[in-house]
Amino acid sequence: MTELAVDTANRSAVPWFKNKKLDQYICFWSVPVFYTLFGLVFVPLSYMMPPRSPAAGIAEVVSFMQSPTLLIASAILILVLGLSAVANACYAVQIRRMSVSPVFLYAFLAGSMVGAIVGCLFPMFCFGLGAFRPGYDPEILAMLYDFGYLSFIGSLGCFCLNWGVLSLAIVLDKNAILPKWLGYYTAWQFATELFAATVWIAKDGPFAWDGLMAFWFNIVIYVPWQIIVYVCVFMAIKNQSETELYSSELESAAPNEKLAYS
Amino acid sequence: MAEYLRNPLCQVWAFLSAMTLASWWVSQGGFEFNVNVLVTVTVLLVSALKVHLVVRYFMEVNVAPRWLKRTMNAWLIVLLALLLGFYFFSL
Amino acid sequence: MTSTNSPAVNLAKPASATSGRVSGESSMWFFIIGDLFIFGAYFVSYMYYRGQDQQLFLEGQQHLDQWIGVVNTLVLLTSSLFVALAAEGARNGNRKTALRMLTIACALGVLFPVLKMIEWLPKLDAGLTPGESLFFMYYYLMTGLHLVHVILGLIILGFVFRELKTAKHPNIGFVETGAVYWHMVDLLWLLLFALFYLMR
Repeated sequence: MTELAVDTANRSAVPWFKNKKLDQYICFWSVPVFYTLFGLVFVPLSYMMPPRSPAAGIAEVVSFMQSPTLLIASAILILVLGLSAVANACYAVQIRRMSVSPVFLYAFLAGSMVGAIVGCLFPMFCFGLGAFRPGYDPEILAMLYDFGYLSFIGSLGCFCLNWGVLSLAIVLDKNAILPKWLGYYTAWQFATELFAATVWIAKDGPFAWDGLMAFWFNIVIYVPWQIIVYVCVFMAIKNQSETELYSSELESAAPNEKLAYS
Repeated sequence: MAEYLRNPLCQVWAFLSAMTLASWWVSQGGFEFNVNVLVTVTVLLVSALKVHLVVRYFMEVNVAPRWLKRTMNAWLIVLLALLLGFYFFSL
Repeated sequence: MTSTNSPAVNLAKPASATSGRVSGESSMWFFIIGDLFIFGAYFVSYMYYRGQDQQLFLEGQQHLDQWIGVVNTLVLLTSSLFVALAAEGARNGNRKTALRMLTIACALGVLFPVLKMIEWLPKLDAGLTPGESLFFMYYYLMTGLHLVHVILGLIILGFVFRELKTAKHPNIGFVETGAVYWHMVDLLWLLLFALFYLMR
């Protein structure tokens, strides 16, 4: 193990492609690529974000759902959705290093998978259907419109679980993998998203799916959080000692529960 | 028992409880459920005072560093100003 | 009481410009300040939407049980006092007093959700659900979010109790952290009480 512990003076001499954490860094840098494409799909290509009004008239709904750029948006989305798994794996690797029960890691992974399918894939498919075959009955499009937005916001239960799990793991962790305050920030993220449950009750006003309380406050908390959390994940990858890297490789080859979270 | 009477925490608590009952009395004082500026302003000011006392004595911000005192004061003042501002704006 | 230390000593310490003592862990203060700003934004939005339709909100306010609101305020204030006394006792090395105070505080804390249910269930039964009006939507969600904070606070106080009961040298910082969180729950309720029950 001692031969592998490269000291700092030595590290700068190692060419980048021999960096022991190269795999982690490649995964990490796929995240901004993913979010850029993701933003492209949801904002300028489909115009589904910021959310349209639940009270929109049928003519408005039809013209939105028959826009041809929705097809491009859907095509890009089905190709890049897999990158969301890589993005979530970046958190998962850090949760795995924490001194918490593995149940946190499994809950996080399962929650993020379900959330991505319901929250990203379903709405875009609903809207894309309108553009795919423009002859659909407007009434059917109106229903798909509701379904699309409700499943878009409706995935927040999964994300609530994700953020709750991540927040608890960070706060309980004794290895100081991610800073404590990030755990608390994640807890606000969790608490504010609880308000999204109201989209099933209110069709207008602050609690509708385009409202101040159900949507805009969440976004104001979420966007900086998403950036900060990735900066913290980057720092965590950077600060990980190479000896730990080596021992975790051994450990995954021959799992030893006591080592994993003692 | 006498020791508790001298304890500032207990004194603050007694004052807070009295203020709670007083603001309730003001709000109930024979008024119907109509817009009432006097009640609203009194109730909001009394609540802000109560919050300030909780922050100062229970949360021990009175012995905290200056940045924390200022943050908590700024939060309370801005919140009170916005609440009263929106209330008067809508009259 | 056997404690020889005058409690006033702790409170009367002069705070200089640059130094001072933060009660509890600083990460908890980070959480508290953020939480206060989030609740603050919610309160201001409540006031804004209230201004759009004062009559609707006043009509809704008539259906609230004022007495439960007052009792709950007193319950939380008293609970907060006992948590503060527990923290003071722990600081003075008086573990027995601290545990007794904390027990009273927890008992009062448990009373809060019970009273909340006594308040909510007949209302929901009478058809006053969140879908009834914007006032009730705000009412259930804001008091519900606060209730989540209360329950979390009770869990934290449980950990504080365990620390005081079992640790050889109780971590005073942890006791204070739990106490400061509980006081935040108290002060948020003071504002909720004024905005939902009292103002006209």
